[in-house]
Amino acid sequence: MKKTLIKTLAGITFAGLVVGNAMAEYPEKDLQGIIQWGPGGSTDTVMRSVTPHAEDVLGRDIIMTNKTGGVGAIATKYVNAMKADGYTLLMGAENPQMYKVLGLADIDYSDMIPINILARGTPIFVARNDAPFNTMKELVEYTKNHPDEIKTGSTGPGGLTSIMLAMLKAETNVEFTGVPYDGDGPALTALQGGAIDIMPAVLGAAIEHIKAGRMKVIGLVDTQANDLLPEVAPITEEFPSFNKYLPWGPFFGVFIKQGTPDEAVEKLVDAYTKAAEQPDFKALMDKRGFSIMNVSGDEAKQFLENYRSVSSWIVYDAGFAKHSPEEFGIKRPE
Amino acid sequence: MLEALQYFSMAWVSPQLLALVALGTFLGIYVGAIPGLSVTMAVSILISFTFSWDINNALCLMVGVYMGGVYGGSRTAILLNIPGAPSAIATALDGFPMAQKGEAGRAIGLSTVMSVVGGFIGIFILAVAAPSISEFALTFQPRDYMMLGVMGIMLVGSLSGESLTKGIFAGALGILIGTVGLDPLTAEERFTFGAVELWNGINPVAVMIGMFGLSEALMQLHHLDKVALKQKLDRIIPAWADVRKYLPLGTQSSILGTIIGALPGTGGDIAALMAYDYARRTTKNPKVPFGEGAKEGLIAPESANNAAVGGAYIPMLTLGIPGDAVTAVFIGALFIHGLNPGPMLLTERPEMFWFTVGNLTLANIFVLIFGLTGIKLFSRIVECPKGILIPLIFVLSIVGAYAINNSVADIWWMLGFGVLGYFMKLYGYQVGPVILGVILSRLVDDNWRRAIISERGDIGEFFVNLFSSPLSVVLFSVVILILISQFPIWKVMLKKRRSDASRDA
Repeated sequence: MKKTLIKTLAGITFAGLVVGNAMAEYPEKDLQGIIQWGPGGSTDTVMRSVTPHAEDVLGRDIIMTNKTGGVGAIATKYVNAMKADGYTLLMGAENPQMYKVLGLADIDYSDMIPINILARGTPIFVARNDAPFNTMKELVEYTKNHPDEIKTGSTGPGGLTSIMLAMLKAETNVEFTGVPYDGDGPALTALQGGAIDIMPAVLGAAIEHIKAGRMKVIGLVDTQANDLLPEVAPITEEFPSFNKYLPWGPFFGVFIKQGTPDEAVEKLVDAYTKAAEQPDFKALMDKRGFSIMNVSGDEAKQFLENYRSVSSWIVYDAGFAKHSPEEFGIKRPE
Repeated sequence: MLEALQYFSMAWVSPQLLALVALGTFLGIYVGAIPGLSVTMAVSILISFTFSWDINNALCLMVGVYMGGVYGGSRTAILLNIPGAPSAIATALDGFPMAQKGEAGRAIGLSTVMSVVGGFIGIFILAVAAPSISEFALTFQPRDYMMLGVMGIMLVGSLSGESLTKGIFAGALGILIGTVGLDPLTAEERFTFGAVELWNGINPVAVMIGMFGLSEALMQLHHLDKVALKQKLDRIIPAWADVRKYLPLGTQSSILGTIIGALPGTGGDIAALMAYDYARRTTKNPKVPFGEGAKEGLIAPESANNAAVGGAYIPMLTLGIPGDAVTAVFIGALFIHGLNPGPMLLTERPEMFWFTVGNLTLANIFVLIFGLTGIKLFSRIVECPKGILIPLIFVLSIVGAYAINNSVADIWWMLGFGVLGYFMKLYGYQVGPVILGVILSRLVDDNWRRAIISERGDIGEFFVNLFSSPLSVVLFSVVILILISQFPIWKVMLKKRRSDASRDA
């Protein structure tokens, strides 16, 4: 056991030095998985729970390293700087799809090959328990009568919360006071302490607190009801205009550099498809409120394109994009 | 109650679990001692490694690594002046001077015993008061976090050495270094000069390794011909009388450490620094002055950072809110193993609570056992000829800097700050305030802005809300008291008044 640990440590220490060329029988050595986000986060948890199953199919280890920074741009650039030999995987979330319009990087997932879009999260609005509103409609009315009074947590421009708030603003024209936090975890903590009133978040991050009655759900940003929140109506019932954005939400996926040999792509797609079918992974995703997608190829590309188009135009219209989506040929969603 | 005891002792009676806790603690001590290898990283590697294991086995190993790792950081801090982790920074301030006087063995012995004392107090508070403390921790508003940060920064006053002006300069430099990168609130670039590599800021651990470890090694080059002091290797295990004498300070630091650890926004590093500050303010006549090897300066941070472990578990086990970075990884591990870490965990799986408390207690006992063995061997490191020791520090610093994030850039930062630290020391600037600034920069910066944004930029409203919260009032009074008590004007005025009075008469 200690030997394996030493092996793992050594592997991580030498990550980046490993270069391989020959493709006799892929994979002929261990792979590197670069996780965009830090240990303990959603992306990290998802990747560390699905990858061991993919390892079983591939018959090789995938050594995972967290490479954080620049909302994932550092990991994305790193993987794209490696050889396209199929040995360095990018394990990421939705963020790169905004890099171009926000001017963070000149690459996004459309410049890579999606191996698997594993799962999608459901965005919701939560509020502190004693807030004087229980639905989105009541929130909007209350905010119209008390402009700027409601404090919402946010996680920086281009993040999930900022896009959700921009959507709400585009459809209802309400103003909040945004208090920035490092992520939805710290913001949801602040919500329980009364430092903020509402928070747009992913269902998975809030579900346990909701179940325990420590905060309440006021909006489900989806077109249909969710099994975990049977009593909450989807936002499209109160605001049908949201239909043009949905279904939309954060996602997790495994990607590889453009130009990787077909043999490697096929084997990886096969490995992750089988891995995402494992019952324990499915159960984990269910519990965290994520919907399993397990798609690759054109289906994955289409989903990615829709996310990029909706989100890019929303932030552009809200005025915090550095570049117009048109510059990159991103079409406005119909 | 009987059930609780049964879960508590689960790992104590199973040879396999017992061995795993022992192994974890042992590994943790060495991971913690190597600068750059963090406990957070080690625990997250263990998640993949123990993926197919039974959850109890996996947790035993990881709890051991956590407890051992927090303690292990003190080892290299005392011996080489390279804190193994940010929570051992305060330990280096008086631990390293002790080692230089030939008391490395005693310093390690004392820090081990006080770490274990701190660990036990943290675990005890976790066991008896977890729910109420986590509710209390949630009431901390951004302004309260800001004031905690300000209290920490006032430690500059006691770290400045010969000149307060130079100390303030060094502290300000640290705060400046801490602001480099994407603004955490607005994602605007600050001092990045367009480089993506700087978005994530300058890693505090790289600054720490450079300023403490490398700069000290460079200073030692001046005394190459000086023969290393013979280490006193008797009485390594501190006498009971000594332990009893320092127990009040250790207990107070531990309580402070547990609470700081339980706050979701602060961890063991800040706990240790604040405990060090507390020790300096409350110890009237230390036998050895602080900064030159005062035992009090070693005891306070060491008991506080291990107490913070128990503290960090408080919000994690009761509410599913991580108390620090390591407990955040533990939450991920519980998810992967099919549990629902959250406010319902205590009702759904009540056994997890006592099982964890039992494992922590066990790991703490192993810290004592492993910590007190091999001290003689380690102390000899300080006796090594400079020709071996200095290159060793260089290698350790470089490997450590690389290990932080597998990035060569961090090595350059480390080297750069090492050289800067060397020249600062040469010209009478202390490096302690720089590190302090780097670590506390974000706590103050983020929370001050959060607080004032919440009041929509209205400073009047800010103070109205501050004075209507008892917690904020207490914190604010402490800040003001510390400030006034240190002001030279205050002392001058007191003197003047007395002399005026005598003249009138």
